[in-house]
Amino acid sequence: MKEEEEEEEDDDSHIFKMAASISGLLKPWTPRVLLVRWSRYNPYYLEPEVRKEAYSRPESELSAEEKEERELKKLRPIKAATNSTTSSLFNDPVLSKFINMMMKHGEKTLAREIMMQTLENIKRKQVEKYHKATDGQKEGIECNPYVVFHQALENCKPVVALASIQKGGKYYQVPIPVTGNRQRFLAMKWMITECRDNKHRRTHMYEKLSQELLAAFANEGNVIRKKHELHKMAEANRAYAHYRWW
Amino acid sequence: MAAQGGVLFQEKVSRLLSRENGKPVLKPNRPLILKDSVGNRKPRKGEASCVTEMSLLMACWKQNNFVDSLCSNEINTFYTCVHKAEAARKNMSEQSNVTGGRLTPKQATTLLKRFPNLRSEI
Repeated sequence: MKEEEEEEEDDDSHIFKMAASISGLLKPWTPRVLLVRWSRYNPYYLEPEVRKEAYSRPESELSAEEKEERELKKLRPIKAATNSTTSSLFNDPVLSKFINMMMKHGEKTLAREIMMQTLENIKRKQVEKYHKATDGQKEGIECNPYVVFHQALENCKPVVALASIQKGGKYYQVPIPVTGNRQRFLAMKWMITECRDNKHRRTHMYEKLSQELLAAFANEGNVIRKKHELHKMAEANRAYAHYRWW
Repeated sequence: MAAQGGVLFQEKVSRLLSRENGKPVLKPNRPLILKDSVGNRKPRKGEASCVTEMSLLMACWKQNNFVDSLCSNEINTFYTCVHKAEAARKNMSEQSNVTGGRLTPKQATTLLKRFPNLRSEI
């Protein structure tokens, strides 16, 4: 507990000590009803470690903090891992997030099936291109559909976005930097909405997705165009950049 | 401290309200009971971070017709600047939370809500 208190022994000092720990994690807490699987947990619960490599490391390789973390994990309760996380080599968090965003009405099997068909379709198209290409061009063609998917999403991520900020009674579109989760979300959202809305209605989703992903991989297509338009609008509004306060 | 001064304080309040010594000093239209919350402090407004990097990036975009592969250097510097600003902001807020000895308005409100003012005798 905090040692740097005032000298006089107040009645309220223990309240202040308790209050200082409100912002951090709660005290050791066990639920009255044991939770089996849930998505909202007490902040006292720790995240599960799914990767096999984290457990196969010998004792000597761990640094001091990692040893402390392991000790902590022995004592604290841990959240249940979701059904879609696996410890296999093929577990891909970005891919899982994309499948979840594509899912409608909770039909995970359908969304996953579409995604697998998309990856197969990408592979087929790239292999066809590979066999038809001349020897000089063969190295340039990427056949791994996972690499194509990741690179396409990377190409779709915007660097700056606009935010509506109020100043002096009016709202201005201010360019702000966007990092991490927000970028990934925007790229995936644009990809999915573009495939759902702006394509011919009689094509299958996997077909539309594979076309759009291959186009994004080559920095063409509607999603990349949307990203460029956002960048252009941010560039046009660059005078308002100082309206940000963070 | 508060317990010893409490009785004297109540007496002073009742003196201020009473009509015995001329007109009462206080004429409250609501009961004199403390709220279970504390007013919010206005956070000091900072200035925008990484504006120079952003303007460089946008100039590069303007030159190269918004092709990202040609502006990769500017993009990288922009990202490093943004990450540094984010880390600095986190450090600042953590420091101000830990040191200072006082509670933030949010913490004080949470605490008061857990031990609210008794409005009726139980």
